[in-house]
Amino acid sequence: MSNAPAGRKPRLMQVRVPVSRRQGLISAFGIWFLFFGVWILASSLGWVNPILVPPPGQVFATIIRLFAEQDFGSDVMISIFRVLIAFALACAVAVPLGVAMGAFPAINAVIAPFVSAWRYLPAPSFIPILLMWFGTGETPKLALLFLGVIFFLVTLIADHTREVRKELIETAMTLGANRWVTVFQVMLPAVLPNILIAMRQMLAVVWTYLVIAEIVASTTGIGAMMMRARRFLHTDEILAGIIVIGALGMAFDVGFAYLHRRLFPYLEEKR
Amino acid sequence: MSQDLLKIRNVSKVFSLPKGGELTAVDDVSFTVEKGSICVLLGPSGSGKSTILRMVAGLESRTEGAVLLNDTPIEGPGRERGMVFQAYSSFDWMSVGKNVEFGMKINGVPADERRARAERFIGLVGLSKFIDTYPSRLSGGMRQRVAIARTLANEPEVLLMDEPFGALDAETRWQMQELMIDVAEASGTTMIIVTHDIEEAIFLADKIVFLSSHPGRVKEEITPLFKPGRLRNKEDVIALPGYSELERKIMRMMREEGHK
Ligand SMILES: Nc1ncnc2c1ncn2[C@@H]1O[C@H](COP(=O)(O)OP(=O)(O)OP(=O)(O)O)[C@@H](O)[C@H]1O
Ligand SMILES: [Mg+2]
Repeated sequence: MSNAPAGRKPRLMQVRVPVSRRQGLISAFGIWFLFFGVWILASSLGWVNPILVPPPGQVFATIIRLFAEQDFGSDVMISIFRVLIAFALACAVAVPLGVAMGAFPAINAVIAPFVSAWRYLPAPSFIPILLMWFGTGETPKLALLFLGVIFFLVTLIADHTREVRKELIETAMTLGANRWVTVFQVMLPAVLPNILIAMRQMLAVVWTYLVIAEIVASTTGIGAMMMRARRFLHTDEILAGIIVIGALGMAFDVGFAYLHRRLFPYLEEKR
Repeated sequence: MSQDLLKIRNVSKVFSLPKGGELTAVDDVSFTVEKGSICVLLGPSGSGKSTILRMVAGLESRTEGAVLLNDTPIEGPGRERGMVFQAYSSFDWMSVGKNVEFGMKINGVPADERRARAERFIGLVGLSKFIDTYPSRLSGGMRQRVAIARTLANEPEVLLMDEPFGALDAETRWQMQELMIDVAEASGTTMIIVTHDIEEAIFLADKIVFLSSHPGRVKEEITPLFKPGRLRNKEDVIALPGYSELERKIMRMMREEGHK
């Protein structure tokens, strides 16, 4: 190894020594090569039924065909739209509420007993009643996604706000800050990086509920396309849907990571 | 004595413990701090030093007694009583300069004056080069100096410091102690400093309030009379006749407390 740190035995496995960029890339691509390699091998050697597990080439061809010929693009757009709207609504409620709960025990004392009960109710159990209340439009889907994350998001943000170090708050107060200055100019900026991390984690959950909503109660969106494909045994289309959802999820994740680096440059300087 | 800026009068603090029962942390403590002087709270662990300081800061409620600043009873924290904590307290999302400006900003000091004052105090703690750096890039000792500059720049009447140099290495600690003498001389800021370092106490103090533990009570007020005013160099203080005698006396008091 050319760039192994001096004074350390070059070894593949080191406890908590970061891998080089090269080793990182090789590892990341390697695992995917292995995955697709096994898949291709299994298909071409006839280990699996091609109707149930089509080869990767066919799946990727299907992705292109879906976009080019079957207007899959609008399904994807409607799915993204549902995720973003529902998630934005959830954040718009969860951030102020969570911060308020973390900052003011009096607010926490009211909200926490309520929220923690709801957290243990699986959101999909609301699907029947949501359908009865809101009919078949966008509302029940958005409501499901919203209900699926809001209670977790509120709890996470409240917990993070509560963890803002006492010294920061007390420093602000002894410098002359009143309650509002303390909350808005000290607690909020202190907790913001963790709020973004909580959002990043919960966005993945929104995607999960999206697929549930679209499979159970929708004629549009990626999940609905997959359910249609199932009826005609189009496994390639189902797998294409899974891959597109995975790719979208990853794209959002990368976006969040980028946003985190841009918004909070001071955190990186710690390393 | 109308010179007394701060009066701590018969202050007690009883904590009610989560498992039930009560703990008297501070029991009927009284002392005064003269304007412009440095008062050191010294005593074994658990003698209520932090609790007293926090009650003066207004961060902790009193069970009994009063704290008077300029003969006005204090209720709650305020900018005229600035505090420096032992633990890391930098605002990570602001540069060193903005950290130091923070107190002035929330108190409505105009921007250009703020900047000028911040520069002056950052210079005083020797961090001019780092004014635009984020605190997370600084060492523990440098961050503590940022915290001191931030509190000083806010121009409190009383500076409260709870073991401010505890986490620093010997050399930085020494520098900071001398800096506190400089600041006290230059700005006339009144200070209460908590420590359990005897040498630090004798070097800095115009008055030492020695506390005994369980419950915290004033055991003795000591004025290091052997010091001819304030000396800037620590080695000069240690060399004075009377220094080692006082050090021995305090060590004996500490030992007695330990055997209790
Ligand atoms: N929030 C609290 N709840 C219950 N007991 C407390 C609390 N804070 C302090 N105490 C108790 O009060 C006593 C005095 O504590 P304090 O922290 O003031 O001591 P100290 O002199 O600062 O000690 P040290 O030198 O170790 O910092 C201790 O017995 C401590 O356990
Ligand atoms: Mg203490």
